Amino acid sequence: MGIEIGARSDVGRVRSQNEDSYKVLAPLNLFVLSDGMGGESHGEVASALAVETVATHCQEATNSVAVPFYGEPRASLTDKTNRLASAVRLANRKIRGAAQEVAARRGMGTTILAAWVDGPRLSLVHVGDSRAYLLRTGVMEQLTSDHSLVAEQVRRGLLTPQQADASEMQSVLIRALGTNAEVEIDADEHVLLDGDILLLSSDGLTRMVTDPEIASTLLTHSNAQAAADRLVELANEYGGEDNVTAIVVQIRQEPQGLFGYLRRWMRHSAPAST
Amino acid sequence: MPKLMLKFESTVLREVPVGGRAVMIGRAPDNDIAIDNLAVSNYHARVYTEAGRLVVEDLDSLNGTFVNEMRVERATLQDGDSILIGKHHIVVDEVHDATVPPEAGRKVTAPKVEETMVLDTRERRQMLQVALAAGERSQLSTGRWKMPTLAVLRGRMDQKEYVIANKLTVIGSSEMATVRIRGWLAPGVAAQINQREDGYYLGRAEIVPKVNGQEIQGPTRLQDGDLIEVLPGWLFGIGQVRLNFLFRD
Repeated sequence: MGIEIGARSDVGRVRSQNEDSYKVLAPLNLFVLSDGMGGESHGEVASALAVETVATHCQEATNSVAVPFYGEPRASLTDKTNRLASAVRLANRKIRGAAQEVAARRGMGTTILAAWVDGPRLSLVHVGDSRAYLLRTGVMEQLTSDHSLVAEQVRRGLLTPQQADASEMQSVLIRALGTNAEVEIDADEHVLLDGDILLLSSDGLTRMVTDPEIASTLLTHSNAQAAADRLVELANEYGGEDNVTAIVVQIRQEPQGLFGYLRRWMRHSAPAST
Repeated sequence: MPKLMLKFESTVLREVPVGGRAVMIGRAPDNDIAIDNLAVSNYHARVYTEAGRLVVEDLDSLNGTFVNEMRVERATLQDGDSILIGKHHIVVDEVHDATVPPEAGRKVTAPKVEETMVLDTRERRQMLQVALAAGERSQLSTGRWKMPTLAVLRGRMDQKEYVIANKLTVIGSSEMATVRIRGWLAPGVAAQINQREDGYYLGRAEIVPKVNGQEIQGPTRLQDGDLIEVLPGWLFGIGQVRLNFLFRD
């Protein structure tokens, strides 16, 4: 399977520091993004620690079976998804430890979003309001649900999505890394197909740019880096009120064997069904 | 603020103001102006302000975007111009103010972006209690624990029945598929079922499956007894795959 990757992070037009961190581990096809909070430079410390811990833990677990597992693995998930959850629990512990070391760091925390592509399977874990989207055959779907107060209110039918977009409470999270001893993690798995585009982003992008405009930007840039650059530019053109980070992953799957080519030909020659 | 008026023949269907953001036009429901017509591409065109001027840009649509009868890739607009997309006209009005509030159906930036904060457990519990008091619909199901099951109605499969035990269940002929279709021409990954907090969702992969005769529009929550058509098959039902989703004791 071939993968094209583009990534870009920017401080935006209003903030003085970039508290977003990200890491792309190309040989592993592991992508980690984190949006820190906590004033001074503490948000930056928290997000960098989260990204580093998740990447290192997964890398070590790939190299050796002796790496400890944090929390309880779930039978309904694959090893890779369970390992990502373990990495996030370890990151939570480390950030909490770092916060308790220094009095001024109290209240520091971060979101985490990690995607691991293993052949045709995507493992996805997240805590907070950083989002993953999947664009397939022109239709974009949000794969993650925000752990924010307004999103929770929408899920409970108390707010409409429009009211949520206009709310002043958008920055209030109900889950984050580093704020509690135990962290509740969303873990999910999806199938990836040839031509799919995966986007990971911080809320600095999704609050400034609408979903259809994000989708059309991903569709009109065949180069993954150009797409990531353009998304960040758009967020800045619309005000750049927060740090903005985008990771674009384009999936290219090669068909296997004669029947693989035949199936692909059938799929591409069939009339569009939507 | 200039506005766009969506018209079909002589009827005005909608008015949408053009503000700081691009107005997206297309067939997908998440567009600012969604036009449910097969001649319209999912994300067909956008209208935005560029250095004080309105600009329309065609987003590589199949059937094109026309301004005053001329096919354009990108064009500046003025008052009274008519954009033709499919069979619908979008008329530019730079003189009259939009009658709908700008936030209707649009993403509006919060007045100020505050520092991100996290509610602690106590605050969160209180918030959720408030939410409950406000009369949310209870999504908790009562009764005995039942296993979600896919029963094979038609198709060459490796089992007659599958219990859904994993977060992700793949239907197809590939090695990663749990619900395995036999036959060389069956899609490797036809469709998928994702387990979520509130149920089991059927999603498309290489094909768009049907639930109770209807093609699904995005991930669809499965109900007890739903009929799933994975593959329509060819003559005499050869290659057809149909499943029944059931909660079994």
